[in-house]
Amino acid sequence: MSNGAGEIALSVRDLKKHFGGIKAVDGCSFELPKGRISGLIGPNGSGKTTTFNLLTGVLAADSGSVIYNGENISGLRPYQIFNRGISRTFQITRIYREMTVFENMLSASSMRVSEREARTRAEELMEFVTLTKLRGEYGGNLSYGQQKLLEFARALMTDPDLILLDEPAAGVNRTLLQNLLEHIHYLQEDLGKTILIVEHDMNVIMNHCEKIFVMDYGVKIAEGLPEEIQNNEHVIEAYFGH
Amino acid sequence: MLGAFLAVAYALPFAVGIYTESVFFDLQWLADFTTVLLNGFMQGGVYAMFGAGLTLIFGVMRIINVAHGETVMLGAYMTWSAFFGLGVDPLLALFLTLPLAFVWGWFVQKVLLNAVVGGPELTPLLMTFGLGLVMIHVVEAIFTTDFRTIPYLPDALRLSENISVGRNRLISFVMATVISCGVYIFLKKHRIGKAIRATAQNADVAMVCGINIFHIYMITSGLAAALAVAGGALVSIQFGFNPETGIFYTLQAFAIIVLGGRGNFIGAMIGGVMLAVMESMISFMVPNGTAMVELAAYGLMIFVLLIRPRGLLGEKTD
Amino acid sequence: MSNWEHLRNFVVLAAAVVALLFVPPIFSIYIRSFFMFMMLYVVLALSWNIISGYTGYVSFGHVVFYGIGSYATGILMVKAGWHWIPTLFAGAAVSGVFAAFLGYAVLRLKGPYFAIAMLGAAEGVRVIATVWESLTGGGDGIGFPNVENSWETYHAMLILTIITIIVAYWVGHSRFGIRLNAIREDEIAAQSLGVNTTFYKISALVLSAIFPAVGGGIQSYKVLYIEPDSEFFILVTIYMKLFAMFGGKGTVIGPILGAVILYSVQEITWIKFPTAHLIAFGLFIIFVARFMPRGLMGFAVDRGWARKGMVH
Repeated sequence: MSNGAGEIALSVRDLKKHFGGIKAVDGCSFELPKGRISGLIGPNGSGKTTTFNLLTGVLAADSGSVIYNGENISGLRPYQIFNRGISRTFQITRIYREMTVFENMLSASSMRVSEREARTRAEELMEFVTLTKLRGEYGGNLSYGQQKLLEFARALMTDPDLILLDEPAAGVNRTLLQNLLEHIHYLQEDLGKTILIVEHDMNVIMNHCEKIFVMDYGVKIAEGLPEEIQNNEHVIEAYFGH
Repeated sequence: MLGAFLAVAYALPFAVGIYTESVFFDLQWLADFTTVLLNGFMQGGVYAMFGAGLTLIFGVMRIINVAHGETVMLGAYMTWSAFFGLGVDPLLALFLTLPLAFVWGWFVQKVLLNAVVGGPELTPLLMTFGLGLVMIHVVEAIFTTDFRTIPYLPDALRLSENISVGRNRLISFVMATVISCGVYIFLKKHRIGKAIRATAQNADVAMVCGINIFHIYMITSGLAAALAVAGGALVSIQFGFNPETGIFYTLQAFAIIVLGGRGNFIGAMIGGVMLAVMESMISFMVPNGTAMVELAAYGLMIFVLLIRPRGLLGEKTD
Repeated sequence: MSNWEHLRNFVVLAAAVVALLFVPPIFSIYIRSFFMFMMLYVVLALSWNIISGYTGYVSFGHVVFYGIGSYATGILMVKAGWHWIPTLFAGAAVSGVFAAFLGYAVLRLKGPYFAIAMLGAAEGVRVIATVWESLTGGGDGIGFPNVENSWETYHAMLILTIITIIVAYWVGHSRFGIRLNAIREDEIAAQSLGVNTTFYKISALVLSAIFPAVGGGIQSYKVLYIEPDSEFFILVTIYMKLFAMFGGKGTVIGPILGAVILYSVQEITWIKFPTAHLIAFGLFIIFVARFMPRGLMGFAVDRGWARKGMVH
């Protein structure tokens, strides 16, 4: 499958978001390469979570633009962004606790496809993350790891082209993390999806992302391949210098 | 935004009054208007007091007690019983009714609400709703649905030739102010009051600091019930009441604390006076005003929630 | 859910309809009216359940829609001389439009604030119905010309109940209902996963406002007299809420079961203990809210008698 080498999936231009006097994101720009796994890292309070919320429409940007498929999606509501093919997971899982696994899946299906198709899709994805046995169980009764998998599968219901993962490694044990990362690689390599991971865990980012963006104080301070980032003095200073 | 809304809200009765030609701006009218405003202001003192009870519970436990108005109604009946049954002066009766009210609030908190503080917000709302229903119909079983009044100092006190205030209003206002100030000072200065405020700030930290928060919850509920019953006593010497008037007091109290800022004691004082003044203006200038006054509370409540949910003095937390 | 299960449910509904068509004639006019009001409360509980059970926005003022329907019928029949059937549609339309506007405003409030705002809205409309004498007859209300209509109204209520059950069934077994559930569970997540929450919430409120309006209209024609305090009586909201919660909110069978059981209980106790039955209902609300928030259906699910979730 063509990975669309060199193409841009999403382009962020001069994004700004201030909370009162705090410049959470202060003129951030970057471009996500199509069909690749990219990583967004930065120390605590560097603005990466705010950036993520701006991309998904949970927060409205003060200025700047987010171009996706030739359209500025900045300022759209979260469901509109989702319906354009950008899906997400949450740092702390937000599955629906009093709905069954199957209902969790179905809730994220596109209303443009028939219910039959949506059901088939949900079954396939539950199989993919090995939750089929639990399809009739309440989300709240699942273990944390299973909830994480459910959330991941739910984000794939509409077959999105761009998948944003908010700290997939947070609170997850090694086996499960390995499992999740295999799924992520499958999506990228076999299905040609574009993926952005916001992550705290340096190992995940360095070993699994092809392109890395580093943020500090609301601006991008570096971007490049893992090895370039590892030796970048700005990055080292940002992480250890203050 | 809120300022603009309030300006419009207070201008509205004038506009309606001018439109229906009941506003004249001559000397007699101005004197009457002053009388009405003055009486409204004093009424506000009483509203502020029972509003403060609701805000206290909300501030400490994040619970909206929809049986608060029923407690006000209960206070009115307690006072009525003391007056007609025992022949006790309604103000002296407070020495009897307030301790009872405190025990009632304590008891409700212990039996019903302690278990649901911090859980889903709707559970205590539904439970206090059920409690209110029980209170209404227990009172109804004893006293029937007839309207009751307490004839107490109904004469007017002349301040000038044209301006007068009801003697019972003046006394109610003074009593409400004394009680509210007392509770305020208690919260600021007393050891238990400080513990209540600490719990309101952060229950977890308060618990770590050795405060028994469930104990604090019960004291808070007791205080709130006492404020409501005191409100009921002071309302009962001015207006008629029946078992079903409680829901209106609940909505009034809720409007007051939404306007003042939920959980803010001073906010409840300001909100109470503002609501009462608006009500008095409506009843004076708008045709059919005595029925329309209820709309003041509902309208203020809904619009303030929509425009500025934290009200005048509330903190921007949710 | 398989087609067989849908078919089975449909057969059960059809059997109930046949029973309700042919059994009451055997009995007195009193029994007929008892069944009529029971069906009214099935409609009310199911409607309340759409906004409050599925979407989680608990309405403390749902009687407002019922009252609007009653007054639409009263005003249009008595003052404008309409036939009673078109007034039901008019009432539904007015109530639906009112719900859309009201919902646009108050559905942005969370949990308890929505509940209390609805209570305020209902009380506010009651005051307006009292004050606007030229339209509503004020506190004296509106009296209808006296006719014997117990059959007409019974059949109308039966049809309304069937329609309401079918709509509730659709909500309870469709992706529409699942999306309403998602809003109840986590509104931010729902929005991030493609649910236009504003649209869905308002749709749910409008749906839940239409059927009570029609029910209110039929009821007003049946009793031939309306006045603000009875048509906007807070007790009607209490019944809707309690019946649906007792049966199990967020399910289709729950509110039906709750309404049938508790309406029968209240009918029996009401006559013998007019005040005590309301005290008991108050205590019962406390009990249900505290110990059985998922109602009878939750109990059935815990015992393994019913499956978890609404779509299988």
